Amino acid sequence: MKLAQLTRTDHADLRIDPARAAASAATVHLVPLVADEIRTVARQFPVFLAKDGETGAFYPAALMGLEPHENLFWNGSTIDADVLPLNLLRLPFFVGGEGAEAVICIDTESPAIDPAGPCPIVTAEGSESDYFRSVQAILGRLVQGQEPTRRLVDLMLEHKVVREFKLDLAFHDGSTSLLTGLYGIDEVALGRARDGIADFADLMIMAAMCLSQDHVGALVRRRNARLAAQADWFTPGA
Amino acid sequence: MSGTSPRAIRSVCIVGGGSAGWLTAGLIAARHGRDLAVTLVESVSRGTIGVGEGTWPTMRNTLRKIGLAETDFMRACHASFKQGAKFARWRTGAADDFYYHPLVLPEGFPDLDLAPYWNSAEQGSGNGGPSFSDAVCFQEYLCEQGLAPKLMTSPDYAGIANYAYHLDAVKLGELLAAHCTGKLGVNHIDDEIVGVSRRDDGDIAAVIGRDSGAIAADLFVDCTGFSSRLLGEALDVPFIDRSDVLFIDRALAVQLPVEEDSPIASHTISTAQKHGWIWDIGLPTRRGIGYVYSSRHAGADRAEEELAAYVGPGFAKLNPREIPIRSGHRAQFWKNNVVAVGLAAGFLEPLEASALVLIELSADYIATSMPATRQAMDFVARRFNSMTRYRWDRIIEFLKLHYVLSERSDTAFWRDNRDPATIPQDLQDQLELWRDTPPGEHDFASAHEMFPAASYQYVLYGMGFRTRPRAGQLAQRDMADDAFARTAAMKRKLGQMMPTNRALLDKLAQHRFPPL
Repeated sequence: MKLAQLTRTDHADLRIDPARAAASAATVHLVPLVADEIRTVARQFPVFLAKDGETGAFYPAALMGLEPHENLFWNGSTIDADVLPLNLLRLPFFVGGEGAEAVICIDTESPAIDPAGPCPIVTAEGSESDYFRSVQAILGRLVQGQEPTRRLVDLMLEHKVVREFKLDLAFHDGSTSLLTGLYGIDEVALGRARDGIADFADLMIMAAMCLSQDHVGALVRRRNARLAAQADWFTPGA
Repeated sequence: MSGTSPRAIRSVCIVGGGSAGWLTAGLIAARHGRDLAVTLVESVSRGTIGVGEGTWPTMRNTLRKIGLAETDFMRACHASFKQGAKFARWRTGAADDFYYHPLVLPEGFPDLDLAPYWNSAEQGSGNGGPSFSDAVCFQEYLCEQGLAPKLMTSPDYAGIANYAYHLDAVKLGELLAAHCTGKLGVNHIDDEIVGVSRRDDGDIAAVIGRDSGAIAADLFVDCTGFSSRLLGEALDVPFIDRSDVLFIDRALAVQLPVEEDSPIASHTISTAQKHGWIWDIGLPTRRGIGYVYSSRHAGADRAEEELAAYVGPGFAKLNPREIPIRSGHRAQFWKNNVVAVGLAAGFLEPLEASALVLIELSADYIATSMPATRQAMDFVARRFNSMTRYRWDRIIEFLKLHYVLSERSDTAFWRDNRDPATIPQDLQDQLELWRDTPPGEHDFASAHEMFPAASYQYVLYGMGFRTRPRAGQLAQRDMADDAFARTAAMKRKLGQMMPTNRALLDKLAQHRFPPL
């Protein structure tokens, strides 16, 4: 990845193929989320809390693989899912700097940069394209979502509804894996804490995270399918 | 049973602040809530000794029980991580002579005992192999590399390697005082105690404050420091001098400011000198350095010279503070309705950081065994006395062990320390036993042991003591080889993974350890 500040001088002619932008997520098993997208994303992915290695702080994230560097939704060309987290939809664009200093950057090495791509950044008339306006809106939601997300995480910790999950899994080929470092909403603890959580919307997000743990089963099925495909590949005549 | 109605214990008065007073107040108040009225009376202007700067890993659980977050504690007390002690120049006195007493047990211990295998390899190599502490445990490597025992993502009070703290004891007292009064409902009175009033049965009915008059309570905790105002003075419990075993009776202490970004040792450094030893404790803001010595063997001038040589050029600008040490303890620790905690109970040289841990153990016992009635108190007191006396005796033996094994004979201090008349008989008997069998759990069968068998192994083999390997002890050779290999692998792995002690402490100024 190589980030450059987006400018009209350097980048007005670029065209983007958004479907290919997620290639940089092909080896990512956790995608960070902001609070206001958790309910939507939890329809497809298990949503856990993970810890930032630098700060030790918890952040919500969608689980896409069962070991580091694995993304079971990557099919070789795109992320095969009905809903996508904002942090994938915004690719290949990033926000650099903070507050008033914040600028939009682009990964100049992204495979999504394609002269034949369907989406220009700037229209023939010289205005920002609808595509780019939607990217700006996504980046805006990510920036503005940071503080409410921190607040939500603090609320979960304060009400002691978070507990560590260790995913100890077995697959059809006999292999096993142990994934640690994940923290989820504990249903029993949430039941105890519900009267103290004043905002119903917060409670619903926590409930959605709690229920989303069932999607781990879908990840296991995807892993089994991958293993079966690999086994076929190595079976002569198959 | 007599016909008198039971006298309920409803109030506790702790006399004296400092680490002892406030840890006791915190543990009692956190456990008993508002069921028990807890008052701490101290003369704030009197100040505290505040040189106890090293803890045991037990402090993590103590602070958790009191209800403090680790990040808040570490910031407020300028604390750093401690992964054990490095003993330099204790064995031969040579510049490269050192060993470690780490806080992580030998790999596989106690199910697997690596000591016979290491002793057997030593015999084969003519004492040229790796040291015991480095061969059986990865923690010495972390210390030598200046690495921390945990990560920024490690939860409160949990680590990758076992750890304790170095801290500013004065700040610890202040933090606990604010927490105890603000959160735990402890009543704080700033007053000078000028006397006590007694009941007919000998109990203390009240302590008399200069301004506040009589402060009554059902149980009094004496945290008045060396003076032992209640247990020693009012109740006449004699002091048992143990300087016949442990000769140290003076400390000369300085605090050396440190540069930002300078490395912080994650272990206590204890360097033997001609007439005692120097402690060196690194905090993010300063190094606490002190020479504890025997004034029977050296005058103050000689001691200051040795301390100056250790500290280096910065010494001229510092004001060394002299602290008298009286090695020993009270004959009883709980009498009538008075129990002593901290220096009021006794003191020993800080060689194995026993001061704060004895405070924690005593305060925890008082909190958990708090009798509901005065009638039940004498039995609780008897138990406390026998348990606490056992602990002091074990600590004294373990401290003496460091001296009796030394090969130094450069001064009378070191030669006198090996005089059998100064060595407790139990220790002499055990040393005889350990010539053929390594220290094991069978040697330490009490529920109130202070140092596990592993600690004895670290000190014994670090000091050059050898146990003759016997064939029967070498039957698990493959398991032992695996354990030595695991230790080596842990060093490689953690060497890559762990931040430096300084880097983690700097991060902790901006970020918090997660609660889980």
